[in-house]
Parts: sequence; structure tokens; C-alpha cells
Amino acid sequence: MAKPRRSRRPRTTLIILVLASITIITLDARGGLDSLTSGVKSVASDAFSPIRSGVDDVVEPIGSFLAGSVHYGAVRQQNQKLQDEINHLKSQAQQSQQTQEQLQQITALLHIPYIGNLTTVPAEVNDYNSSNFAATITISVGRDQGVQLNMPVVTGAGLVGQVVEVDHTTATVRLITDGASSVGVLYATPASPNSFASAVGQGAGKPLNVDLVPSGTTLATGTVFYTSGLNGASFPASIPVGTVTEARTGLTASQETVTLQPLADLSRLRYVSVVLWGPSS
Amino acid sequence: MTARHAARVTLVVFLFITVQQTLMLQLRIGAAHPDIMILLPVAAGIVGGPGRGATMGFWSGLVADLFLPTPFGLSALVGCLVGFAVGLATIPLDRTSWWLPMTTAVLASIAYLATYALLGSILGEPQMLHVDLTRIVVVVSVVNFVLAVPATRMVGWALPEVSTEGMPLSTAGLR
Repeated sequence: MAKPRRSRRPRTTLIILVLASITIITLDARGGLDSLTSGVKSVASDAFSPIRSGVDDVVEPIGSFLAGSVHYGAVRQQNQKLQDEINHLKSQAQQSQQTQEQLQQITALLHIPYIGNLTTVPAEVNDYNSSNFAATITISVGRDQGVQLNMPVVTGAGLVGQVVEVDHTTATVRLITDGASSVGVLYATPASPNSFASAVGQGAGKPLNVDLVPSGTTLATGTVFYTSGLNGASFPASIPVGTVTEARTGLTASQETVTLQPLADLSRLRYVSVVLWGPSS
Repeated sequence: MTARHAARVTLVVFLFITVQQTLMLQLRIGAAHPDIMILLPVAAGIVGGPGRGATMGFWSGLVADLFLPTPFGLSALVGCLVGFAVGLATIPLDRTSWWLPMTTAVLASIAYLATYALLGSILGEPQMLHVDLTRIVVVVSVVNFVLAVPATRMVGWALPEVSTEGMPLSTAGLR
């Protein structure tokens, strides 16, 4: 009796789909599908914005309730602390701390000292990390507010990142800690007042690594690095990026190993400003 | 596949991407969040075999890629590979057993994330290998373990009956 043979169709299907995927990835990487994919992504994001905000409105109270049940012990402690705080605040001005912080953050965005004459658009942070493999945030402004690709995003404290995707009402910002992020930076030492380097992201929550700092350079902890703004740079000059947390020289290394802590608190962003500036500006 | 089944599949994919983009992005543990889009090729592989698993993985991956900053088409590539592998690996198994979707979901989630990070790094995103993969795998696997059975039932409802791929698929249980 003949041995039953398994159909070849699934294997053919797989080969076709793998080839299709590789073609899409290649075309997208080479810019061949840029306008198509960014257009479709923009439409999808626009279409999902009302759904997302509608579902958020419904589930946020449920989520808060569930989070409260899971963290009962912590919530109880926090509750007691808040109770004390409420009593304290009642005796003063009945102003909640959260509101004050928000106000401070928004006020700081209106008077960013290092921006100069550049125009900025304030935005609220909607989401963190749409992918587990990229350090990004989604913000509440988009093309309708004048936001375009590659525009820098800042807080009152310093540089946050760069717009990598934009649709009509929202934009995705790649944080400077993302592994694909590289920022041209400027720093000053007693020996050399204007030295250039490159701050490279190492992933969400991790400090930045600084490349191109010559071996033997003396860098004190706390030294502030600013964007260099060199011709063709991705960011305007003089935006604070981070402070040195560690600087050391390996025995045979040709450059210093320098780590930089971002000045903006990237793990707790609520409001940011998009600088309406492009590399050609 | 009839128009009715195509509409059902579209509905299921739409439901999954909506839940992913709303609820799942809020469920953040450390820097990781669940990824239930992986369940679609896994479930399709279990109930429909390797061909359907690969097809579902490709299309659901393309939909997921619309919302991701990673290379466009990467989720589709990994999705079709995982869907095919799940379909192939589960052919000799009893597809009506209660533990199969959960176990497969965990193993497939691990394989999916590792392949995703590896292919992403090969395709010019080396930082994808420098994430806290263990934490991501744990968060994604646990949530997919919990949601594997309902996901398999929904995909089973959406896909047409299968009889051409040589596997002993029972119409009871999962359908």
C-alpha cells in the first residue's frame, strides 16, 4: 500500500509569505515603501486614536481598581501617607501636590531657557513603548499642530528624543535612551573648552554611552553635555542632554568610557515640548 | 475561505489589535508589556495547521507592524514562521487536549520573541538584542498562557474547517 503523502501546499504558502515579508522589509528599509507605509501607518493611527481614547476612558477606572487590589499593602501604606498629606495640605492652601507638579511642568515648558527663539508645541505623553524592543513614547500632538519627522522633543530639564513617526493628531518619539538613538554632543574640559562626541542610547532605563572622548580627557562627575548643533546635526545646539555619572580609561583603550545620565526624567514624562525645528532650519 | 470566514478573521484580528493597543499597552511590568498578537498565528496553527498558521501570522503581523516602530514587515515574517512551526509541531498531537493551547502559547511566545529580537538585530536594529529579553518573555508568556484557550476558541470560530493538511483535526473541543 502506498504511503500517504503530506500536502506540499503549506510549505509553498510559507515560502511565498516569507519571501513577501522579506520583500516588504527590504523595500521599507530602502525607502521604497516609505510614503506607502508611513501613509498607511498614519491612517491606522488616526483611525485608532478615538477607539483608544474611548476604551481608555472605560477601562481606566477598572484598571485603577485592579491595580489597587493587587497592590493592597502598598496602597494601604500610601493611603495613610496621603491622609497625612491631605491634613497637612488642608492647613495650607488646599492645593493638591499633583496639580502643583503638573502646573510646574507645564510652566517649565512655556519658559524653556535654552530654546531661544525657536517655536515649541507643548504635548501630553499618551503612551510609553508601543514595542517591547524600542524606547519610545506617543505624544498628543501631530501634523495638525505643525509637528514633522525628526523634530527634537524636550522638557524643561533637557533633551527627550526625536519624532520618528507622525500622524494628524499624535506622534511617536524615539527617546535618547533607545539603542538606535545617537546624539552629537558638546562638552567642555579645562584643557579643551569645545570638544565634540556622540551620546549613544543603550535601551530604556539605561544611561547613555559617550563615544569619541579621547583617552586621558579629565571629566568630572556632573559635567553637563549639550547638543553640538554641528552642520547637519539632528538637533539644534545647546540643548542639555545629560550629566556624566562615570568616566574612566581602560589600560589599552583609545578613548574614555563615559556614561551619561539624561537630565530629563525619561521614566516619568507627562508633558513634553516639540521644538519646531528641522536639520535644514 | 468564504466571505463569511474572511469577515470573521478580520473581526478577530481587529479585536486583538484593539485590545493590544489599549489594554495591553497599559499593563506594563517594568519596561515590558504583553503581546497578544502572537496568539493569533499560534491559535491558527493549532486549529488550522501550518498553512493557516503561516497565513494568519503574516496578515496579523502586518497589522501589528502598523503600530510598531520596529522594521515594517518584521512581525509578519516572524508571525508566519511561528504559525507554520506551531501547525507542523502539533500535527501528531491531540489538538482537542486542554493543555495544548497553553503550553504551545508559552513555547511559541519564547520562540517568537527570540526570533524577533534576532532578526531585528540582523536587519539593522542591533539594540533589539540589548533589551531585557527575560522580563519581556516572562510577561508575554504569562499573559499568553492565560489567554491561549479563549484565543484558540475565537480563531477556531473564525477559520473554516480544515481537512486538506493531513492532520487528524477533531471538530469537537476546540471548535
